[in-house]
Amino acid sequence: MTEQEKAEAEKSWLETIRETLYGMAAHDMSRAALRTRASMEHLFILITMGDLLGVPILPPYYSLRLLPYVVPQIATWKRRMLREKDVADAMF
Amino acid sequence: MNFKDVFLQHPERRYIMFGGGGGVGKTTFSAAAAYWLASQGKKVLVFSVDPQASLTDIFKRDIFGKGPVQIMDNLWAQEIDADSHIRKYQQEIRQKILDMYGMPAVPEEIEHYIQAASAEPAMEESAMFDAVVDVVMKGDYDYYIYDLVPLGHALYYLSMAKVYDEWINKVTKLREEMREYEEMVSRLRREKESEQDQILQELLYIKNRINTSAGILTDKTKTAFFFVVIPEAGIISDTQKAAGMFAQFNVPVAGYVVNRVIPHELLNQNIPEYLRRRIEMQDRHLKDIRTAFDDQVLALVPEMERDVTGLAMIEKLATIMFA
Repeated sequence: MTEQEKAEAEKSWLETIRETLYGMAAHDMSRAALRTRASMEHLFILITMGDLLGVPILPPYYSLRLLPYVVPQIATWKRRMLREKDVADAMF
Repeated sequence: MNFKDVFLQHPERRYIMFGGGGGVGKTTFSAAAAYWLASQGKKVLVFSVDPQASLTDIFKRDIFGKGPVQIMDNLWAQEIDADSHIRKYQQEIRQKILDMYGMPAVPEEIEHYIQAASAEPAMEESAMFDAVVDVVMKGDYDYYIYDLVPLGHALYYLSMAKVYDEWINKVTKLREEMREYEEMVSRLRREKESEQDQILQELLYIKNRINTSAGILTDKTKTAFFFVVIPEAGIISDTQKAAGMFAQFNVPVAGYVVNRVIPHELLNQNIPEYLRRRIEMQDRHLKDIRTAFDDQVLALVPEMERDVTGLAMIEKLATIMFA
C-alpha cells in the first residue's frame, strides 16, 4: 500500500464515521427541515402562481416574472395540491 | 394663488398629474402645461398611461408606441403601447425559461399559463404601471407630466400599488423563512453556503419597482396632482368623493382647475336664451365649486371656440391657463 493509498483509506474511513454520525444525529433533522422547506415551496408557488390551479390570487404581471424559476416544481406542485390523502401521507 | 404661481413657487415638483372624470380635459391640460413649461426652457416629457390615449390627436402627430417623440424645442410626448409592452414581456419570460433549462420549447402547460395570465384585465394596468417606472427612472427630463386615466382607474392604480406592496412583503417573508431552512440543512450536512435565492432577488426587484412608482405618486415634495373639473352637476360631488379617496392614499392634491367655462362676456351680446340659461347654470355650479374647494381653485379656463388640437391652439390655451 503506497502512502497515497494509505491516506485515501484513512480519509474514506473518516468520511464513513462522519457520515454515520451525520446519519445518527442530524439526518432526521435535516430531512424534517427539507420537508418543511418543500411545503413552503409549494405554498409559495400557490401564492404566486395560483391561477395555474384556477385560484387567482393577484394580478399576474409580476407572477410571470417569477415563473421561470418555478418551472421544474410546477408538476410536483400540482400533484401535491390536487392529490387526495393516501397511504403515502402516513408513511412519510 | 393661481395656476402659474404653483409652478413658480414649487420648482421642485417635477411630476405633474392631471386627474378627473372622462372627457373633462385632462389631456388638453397636460399638453398645455407641457407646452408652457417647455416654452420656459424646461425639458418636458408628457406621457399617457391611458390605453385610449389621445396625445396623438392633440399634437396631430402619430406617437402611439413610438417612445418619446419630440414635438418642439424642450417638449417630448410619449404614448405607452401596453399591448406590445406585454408581448415583449411575454417573449422575455419564454426566452428566460428556454435559457435557464436548455429546453427546445416552452412546455405546453407553462405556455398556457403565460397566455392566460396575459389575458387577464389587470395585466394591462400592471404593464402600464411598470412601463412608467422605466420612463421616470431614466430621469432625462426636468418635468414629467402624467396624462392620467379617468379617476376610477387612477384609484385602482394606486390601490394596486398598495396591495402589491403588502403582498410582496408577505411573500418575501415566506421566502426568507424558506431560506433559513435551506441554510439549516446546509449546516447540518456541512455543505458550503447554499446558492443565492434568485427568487428572493426577483421579489426584491419587484418591490423596488412598485415602491418607486407608488412613491412618486404620493411624494409631497416632488409631485403635484391637479383635479380637472367642469361646471356641471354630478362632476363636483364625484370629484369631492375622489379627492377624499386620493387623500387616503396620501396623494398630494395641489389644486383644482375648472375647464369649459362659457365666457361671461357673451352676456353683453345678443345671445340666444339657450346659451343664457347655460351660463346661469354654470354660474350656479361655479359657486358650488368655490364652496367645495375654496381657495384651491387655481384657474378658470374658458370653453374654446374650437377643438384644442395642434400647437397653435395649445399655445392659446396655455397662455390663458398660465395668465
